[in-house]
Amino acid sequence: MIEELLKELSTAVIDGNKDKSLEITNKLLELGLSAKEILDNGLLPGMDVVGVRFRDNIIFVPQVLISARAMKTSLAILEPLLSKSDLRGSGTIVIGTVKGDIHDIGKNIVAMMLRSSGFSVIDLGIDTKVEKFLEAIKNEQADIIGMSALLTTTMGYMKTVIERLKSEQINIKTMIGGAPISKAFADQINADGYAKNASDAVKLAKQLMGIALREE
Amino acid sequence: MTPRERMNNAMHLKAVDRVPVMCQLSIGHYFLNSGLDPLEIWFTSEGFAEALIRMREKYSFDGILINLPGRDPNYSNFIERIEKNEDGSIVHWRNGNYTTVPKDDNPHYYQNDGSRYFPTFEEIKPEELFYIEPWDLTDITYPYTWGFEKEPRPFDNFFPDYHLDTIRIIKKRIGNEYSVHSEVFSPWSQFLELLNYENALMAIMDDPKKVKACLESLTLGAIDLGKRQAKEEVDAVLISSAFAGAGLISREHYQEFVLPYEKKIVEGIQREFEIPVYTHTCGSIGDRLDLMMDTGTNGIDTLDPPPLGTVELEEAKKILGEKVFIKGNIDPVNTLLNSDEQNITKDVEWRLNIGKPNGGFILSSACSIAPYTPPKNIELLKNLAEKYGTYNK
Repeated sequence: MIEELLKELSTAVIDGNKDKSLEITNKLLELGLSAKEILDNGLLPGMDVVGVRFRDNIIFVPQVLISARAMKTSLAILEPLLSKSDLRGSGTIVIGTVKGDIHDIGKNIVAMMLRSSGFSVIDLGIDTKVEKFLEAIKNEQADIIGMSALLTTTMGYMKTVIERLKSEQINIKTMIGGAPISKAFADQINADGYAKNASDAVKLAKQLMGIALREE
Repeated sequence: MTPRERMNNAMHLKAVDRVPVMCQLSIGHYFLNSGLDPLEIWFTSEGFAEALIRMREKYSFDGILINLPGRDPNYSNFIERIEKNEDGSIVHWRNGNYTTVPKDDNPHYYQNDGSRYFPTFEEIKPEELFYIEPWDLTDITYPYTWGFEKEPRPFDNFFPDYHLDTIRIIKKRIGNEYSVHSEVFSPWSQFLELLNYENALMAIMDDPKKVKACLESLTLGAIDLGKRQAKEEVDAVLISSAFAGAGLISREHYQEFVLPYEKKIVEGIQREFEIPVYTHTCGSIGDRLDLMMDTGTNGIDTLDPPPLGTVELEEAKKILGEKVFIKGNIDPVNTLLNSDEQNITKDVEWRLNIGKPNGGFILSSACSIAPYTPPKNIELLKNLAEKYGTYNK
């Protein structure tokens, strides 16, 4: 029965059915399954499928958003039951759209996909100054910083952040993305990686953490 | 041949002496390069018209796109104070809210707590919608009111007369010689701006019927505005449809939530006015050029090439050529912003060789020219069009 319910939970996430996702999560908790088991064997496998379908252009942003919403609904009741190490998962990433830029849909999708791949994501939102990045990195003991920019006027701020990290001798991996960003730009500002889209961002984050990539 | 004739012929797929040149500039580029105060450009019809005219002259473009609404001449009555800082200005309004005006980018209006207002999908009533202007002085409001007006306007008199002021000024000053284009927002763009992008995108999964009712209403406003602009004798109307590419939605969703409404706009304007109506969609549209043509559009603007988008000009020319005009598709970031004269020349020559045969091609940046693009890079375009884009007589 539990196996069946976990499968149903994955399906609810894939379909973006938040009511169903919540109902099954509650049922699984009542049956005595731990929050970690529900997360690892129900929610995350569902989001894995979503990630692959999104990467392969089978589904698009609206479907990803409702799947993430379904997962978030279940996570809201699981999170208080998860230990800090459970939440930390594959690693901790501090992410934000850089100073001067208020565009966030790309960054939000990347954050959702990273969470769904087991990362703990601290989302600093839009218009993020270097001080805010540094504070979050220290407080959360982050492994990676992810920066997003949609504007050619704001992409230069990524360099400011990377230089500040270096000057303060903060040892952290840096990844960047956004419409005007390229691999060449990432190399130019000494970022550790550039991701073209959300699926690539997950792949890159795993590479930066030294996590073996699964063949999909 | 005057620049206006050149543009009009190109848009109607008729013979021209050379490929016309016309780019859309980012607002930040006007702020940085027109020599005018950003506050004047953003807040006054006269200031924006002057910036458009100056920059057209600087770059020898054959036409101008007016992509901001005319402004309320009494806007300064609502200002409490203006604060200057190293990033630009902050205009504090008497209602407690404020607008940040960066020196190099689009201004944004904020509530006094620093947030932006968006209504929820649940509270929206489709019958209360008519048109959403994303660049109105006070951002998004619902029910929609213009600037600091207290009450929504009736739909038969929805657009304030000043909305068309920038068009009027430009038409009067240079309209005989240069092609003047206006802009209306696609109902899909309006809907995304109204709810904020994520909520709007989830709404199409949650209640597609209600979304379609909203889009129907927003189409009526776009047609009404387009016709008012056409009455002012603009040479073309652009449908701004930035969020309809594969980066956000599938072909199926495009067919459902974009195509029918943009088709109605084209038909609605052209039922009364014989002017081209064309479409600007950014990013990845290489998989849906056929669907864009099904809207009845007369031309497709932007056509972002890889890596910014997915449009290869050779392919686009095969699909679109001789049916609609093409305006594009120079990479505004990797070519115009970050490259040098030699590479720009090579890139533009290559695009002209593909786009020029049989006409219907307007040389342009794909998306807007970025704020810090060196002016000398843009000045090259007209010279290159003269060198490589002329037709044999």
